[in-house]
Amino acid sequence: MSNDLSNQPDILTAAERAQIDSSTSGAALLFFGSSAFWLVFASLFDVIGAIQLSYPCFLDGISFLTYGRVVQTATTVMAYGFATPAAIGIAVWLTARLCKVPLSHHRMLVSAGIVWNLGILVGACSILAGNSTSFALLSFPAFATPILFVSYALIAIWVLFTFNERKSGGLFVSAWFVFAAVLAFPWLFGTANALLVWNPVSAPAQPAIALWFSSGFFNLWLVPVGLAAAFYIIPKSTGLPVASSNLSLLGFWTLLLFGAWTGGAQIIGGPVPAWITSAGVAASIMMIVPALALGLNFHLTLDGHYAPVAWSPALRFIVTGIGCLVTYWILVAINSIPGVNAMTQFSDINRALYYLGHFGFFAMTAFGAIYYIVPRLTGHEWPCAKFISLHYWLAVTGFGFIVSGLILGGLIQGSALSQTIITFRSSVEFAWPFRVFAMLGSLLILASAVNFALLLIGILLETHKNQAPAFMAEREENSQEPVAV
Amino acid sequence: MNKLPNIFVGIFVIFGSAWLGLVNYPLKNLGNLQPVPDEATGGVLPPTVSGLAVAGHKVYAANGCVECHSQQVRFAPLTTDIDKELGKRQTVARDYLREKTAFPGILRVGQDLSNYGARAGEDINAIHRHLYEPRSVNPWSNMPSYCFLYNVVKIQGQPSNEAVTGLTGPCAPKPGYEVVPTEKAKALVAYLLSLNQSYPLPESPVATAK
Repeated sequence: MSNDLSNQPDILTAAERAQIDSSTSGAALLFFGSSAFWLVFASLFDVIGAIQLSYPCFLDGISFLTYGRVVQTATTVMAYGFATPAAIGIAVWLTARLCKVPLSHHRMLVSAGIVWNLGILVGACSILAGNSTSFALLSFPAFATPILFVSYALIAIWVLFTFNERKSGGLFVSAWFVFAAVLAFPWLFGTANALLVWNPVSAPAQPAIALWFSSGFFNLWLVPVGLAAAFYIIPKSTGLPVASSNLSLLGFWTLLLFGAWTGGAQIIGGPVPAWITSAGVAASIMMIVPALALGLNFHLTLDGHYAPVAWSPALRFIVTGIGCLVTYWILVAINSIPGVNAMTQFSDINRALYYLGHFGFFAMTAFGAIYYIVPRLTGHEWPCAKFISLHYWLAVTGFGFIVSGLILGGLIQGSALSQTIITFRSSVEFAWPFRVFAMLGSLLILASAVNFALLLIGILLETHKNQAPAFMAEREENSQEPVAV
Repeated sequence: MNKLPNIFVGIFVIFGSAWLGLVNYPLKNLGNLQPVPDEATGGVLPPTVSGLAVAGHKVYAANGCVECHSQQVRFAPLTTDIDKELGKRQTVARDYLREKTAFPGILRVGQDLSNYGARAGEDINAIHRHLYEPRSVNPWSNMPSYCFLYNVVKIQGQPSNEAVTGLTGPCAPKPGYEVVPTEKAKALVAYLLSLNQSYPLPESPVATAK
């Protein structure tokens, strides 16, 4: 095994770990706490939008609650209010742990966190007030995004600075993913805002750039951070080394290589050069390679040791997230086959895939990471294991309802949209019951978000003096698995 | 051993190649597209749009219409868009030259609008009625009402000649009142009527034989 990619996260003494963790706690808790707040906010708007889609009279005729603005607020706040701060919190904590140095410039990160949240507040209000750009995941108007960019620059500089200061030793695979993600985000966000929002380029060039951004935002920013957390926390909480460093390497490079090109598959037959859609289709199908390499690697790591998944909140959420990611990429590959796509392109399947990726994978993995990290920052355990279990089941049932409902409904709706003899009206009516089903899922997700926020408030305020770790099930007495450290 | 610079170079090359292909190429090629001269009228194709339609484009963006409506006709025979009469020909990049922002859309929760102007006809009042209360036109519609783009005002003397007529049921104004479109509503209608790709382009001629 080469020295550059070790299979064990790190070898630190408990005292060193505690010192590193306490140095990151202020900044990381700020990012996690604000992400929980925005998660509840975004889920609430998601529910409003889901109800309006099936019952259009709900809150109808109010300018700032019109469906288009509500949905854009939900998706944009979910991406920048919840997902990105959660990713930043995870990345900051992981960077300090992986580089084995306590956090320096703590105030810079806390200021960045405050500025970031101000940016989200300004952005969300301006979408609702009618200043949206209407680009997917770029709806914040030109005066809100520079705030986010400045804040992010402070964070990225800190991360790169810490990588430079790191103690010698092999770079664990999580560090690769964090490093790639931290570089990818400003590249994507800066380019897309400069060309589409701040000083828009000529409209014919915009669709390709917008798709490059929206697919990159997921594949090159959220996915690498989620995987970095998984690669760190799975070995840490089971005591098992990552099964194969070659599979890690294969997964890492194929993810970056193909992930950056998948956007074109969303506009097959549309107004972009044909080679861009062909490249997008090829890349989307090739995403099966990182899906299998990463999925297999996690499976081989946990093979025969799946027992802790039952009682460890972090493991259960993360393993569910990885399962969703593999499913997501396989469905994306199938959906991008031109013959299939001709039918499914404008159907609810697009929304199903959005929820499966952003919620099923990223949010679940982030929840798992937060359940692992926060007790180490605060020095005390989660108040109530039953509540964590409830959060898990609400979230899983919620996105299960949404994804299954929208995939089934999308197939029927898409087939109606593509058949010449079926009227448009039928496509709306066929999709209706499935959208109602998905709406119930959105309600469950809102409940799970509130549940999660309450847990976070509970641990921050130390409502229960719980000394023992919160396990979701009885640990087997003869279990060989070491306690998470 | 410190291999971080190597990882950095690898990441840089991979991101850079995708950036060249998906950002720089469209920017250099599609970004410089120009209208083509129209020999029949002496104008250009796609035709230039009115200032009111440009203002309406902003209303379209502000209210997130793109969340439900696509604006692209995909090519036949892979798709049935042309058979379903969404348009007479495939939408190409040059069609978006008329607009400041391209809204190809990713969902068809509502109808495709790339040729709405060609379908809608001349009856502006019907379009206002649809925007004011979609279910008064199509009872099955799940489109939101854009009544906040209209003012309900008391009729002073003669009724306004801009007032929306034919509103029935719960959305009808009380007797003595009328529904008058705001500037935003008028701009939105002008924009919707400007959505019309019935002109031919060299890279996407209108199919004549059918």
